[in-house]
Amino acid sequence: MRRIAAVALIILASACNRKQPPLTPNLNKENKVAMRTVALYYESQDLLLVPERRDLPLPENPAGALDVVMHELVKGSVNAAVPKLLPADTVIRATYLLPDGTAFVDLGGPTLTQGWATGSHQELMAVYSVVQTVTANFPEAKRVRVLVNGEPAETLGGHVSLSRSLVPMPSVVAR
Amino acid sequence: MKRLLPLLILAAATILLAQAPNQAIVRTPNGDRLAAITKVDTQTFFAADDVIAALGGTVSPDGTGFKASLNNKLAAFGPDSRFGVVGDELIEMPLAPVVVAGRPYVQWQFFQGFVSRAADMDVTWDPVARILTVRPAQHTVVGVQLSVANIQGISKVVLGLTAPAEYAIVKDQTSYTIRFKTPIRAPFAEQSYDDPYIAKATFAGSDLRLDLKAPDVGADAYKLDNPFRIVLDFHKVAAGPATTPANIVPSRPMEAPGIHTIVIDPGHGGKEVGAIGPHGLMEKDATLALCRRLADNLETRLRTRVILTRTDDSLVPLDQRTAIANQYHADLFLSVHMNAAVVKGAHGSETYFLSLEASDELAKKAAEVENAAAKTVTPETSDLKMILWDLAQQEYLNESSRFAQAVQEEMNRATHVQNRGVKQAPFKVLVGATMPAALVEVAFITNPDEESKLQSDDFQRMVVDALTTAVERYKTDYETRIGVIRAPVAAPAVATDKKAGT
Repeated sequence: MRRIAAVALIILASACNRKQPPLTPNLNKENKVAMRTVALYYESQDLLLVPERRDLPLPENPAGALDVVMHELVKGSVNAAVPKLLPADTVIRATYLLPDGTAFVDLGGPTLTQGWATGSHQELMAVYSVVQTVTANFPEAKRVRVLVNGEPAETLGGHVSLSRSLVPMPSVVAR
Repeated sequence: MKRLLPLLILAAATILLAQAPNQAIVRTPNGDRLAAITKVDTQTFFAADDVIAALGGTVSPDGTGFKASLNNKLAAFGPDSRFGVVGDELIEMPLAPVVVAGRPYVQWQFFQGFVSRAADMDVTWDPVARILTVRPAQHTVVGVQLSVANIQGISKVVLGLTAPAEYAIVKDQTSYTIRFKTPIRAPFAEQSYDDPYIAKATFAGSDLRLDLKAPDVGADAYKLDNPFRIVLDFHKVAAGPATTPANIVPSRPMEAPGIHTIVIDPGHGGKEVGAIGPHGLMEKDATLALCRRLADNLETRLRTRVILTRTDDSLVPLDQRTAIANQYHADLFLSVHMNAAVVKGAHGSETYFLSLEASDELAKKAAEVENAAAKTVTPETSDLKMILWDLAQQEYLNESSRFAQAVQEEMNRATHVQNRGVKQAPFKVLVGATMPAALVEVAFITNPDEESKLQSDDFQRMVVDALTTAVERYKTDYETRIGVIRAPVAAPAVATDKKAGT
């Protein structure tokens, strides 16, 4: 009987000592970067979203590229006459791209945190500039969920519901 | 000796798996494994890769965060958010994950959220023994208390539960059955009631059957938290809809058909000021001033009951505004706003009704809800409850579109501001309204000309007249279509008490 117990001990010991493969550090560092033309959506004088083309060095993996594109969007247009849609102090905290087609864009910054005093149209433009930019540049992203400070938010400024993920809305985009 | 063997193995396991201070045991049905842990402000964080690997899954970097894969389910999480993501759902953690030496560490609640969705497993953490246990989900026995009371013509059945539980409501002609998905501890086997609608309550297995006194009785069901309660409000319904799954969408007790009660919602309020004009006019003040006048005008001209969602500068949450309209069984909901744009010179008025194309996922889930409805079963998990709320407006979209059209046309006719048309958008304040609902953007408060107009008595009167005529037109049109043909001025006076719904 002692022998059985000893065997059990050996089996257990070997099970516990099995090394686990270490995780690869951040894949992005090893990722190739390539120049790509992306479309960033800002508002035209017709009060519709229009694409602004920009060449960017993007990581080849979409998750990394999404992050770069979103940071680029909030920088605003190269044309100083085109106003920013999101509050000027908005930051991109994080982005995720899930294989099921949901992209998550986590926004932050003092204005969005304290409560943005804005109207329906401006809020629609701001939210859909994000939705449109994500879905136009990343065909694998079918819908976008916007978070604020890493948490689900009801709206950005009291109008557009962020309780669920949003699909592109062609009526706010110039044809 | 044989009886001692398990003890010996256990003792051996304890010695061998005695965790180092930076380790915890992950106990799974397949045995124990060790996982690295770290402490942040006394909170324990687990190396996500160790724990997920113990369950047969993987964790890898993904963009700015990480993704975990288990049984073909994926979760995304990162150090920037205390919410992880599984599909379209969020997993809440008390604190955001931390990254130590390139490895993501998360609190045990992440595993609870992810593993319960990827496999039907429960996760518990024993901080004293430092054991994270993952085992097949065990649905605990839930105690149930039942009360029945008739208040102002509604029989309120309240089920108090000792813990939240999933359930479905199955309805037939003369009974409602609440079918719990977990074992329950019933307070009694059977009880009769001296109530206008409820005859008897019977517990059998995990079912509670409520026998009705008449077939023309229907119920609105909803849940309350802290403590967890299921409430069914029984009331008389018209004989016709009794066979349709009216309980899927909160239903209204039938009264004389037509437009009798109108809820007017002055946008924003309190610290939520809304848009601000170049000369400082705040949207919340402009909407309140206009809506007060509109309410008076509607009552005088249409002799309908008008309820304002706020009558002063108070903050009313968005979902409460529609809830007020639902609570008063309103026949029409109009939210009044002033617009804003960054583009200089933007001007004009526009009217919105809800777009439900906000999520294709929702449409898919809606189909599932409808399928369930076809079987006259109401699956009322918290998730579905939320979808039902999102879908509440769907059956009124055609009417909402007609109402929005009337509003926009009258605004164009009376005010001569630029016609920006009727549009659809996923506006939060319209979600959940169980009546035709629209949101009007009177003018751009960010445009200096329109900002001054909004402050002028003449312009306000024109807008109030236009909106009143729009409601009148819609009311006549609707009542004509449903066969209640009567001139709006001859409509019978219902209550004319104007009050805040709060």
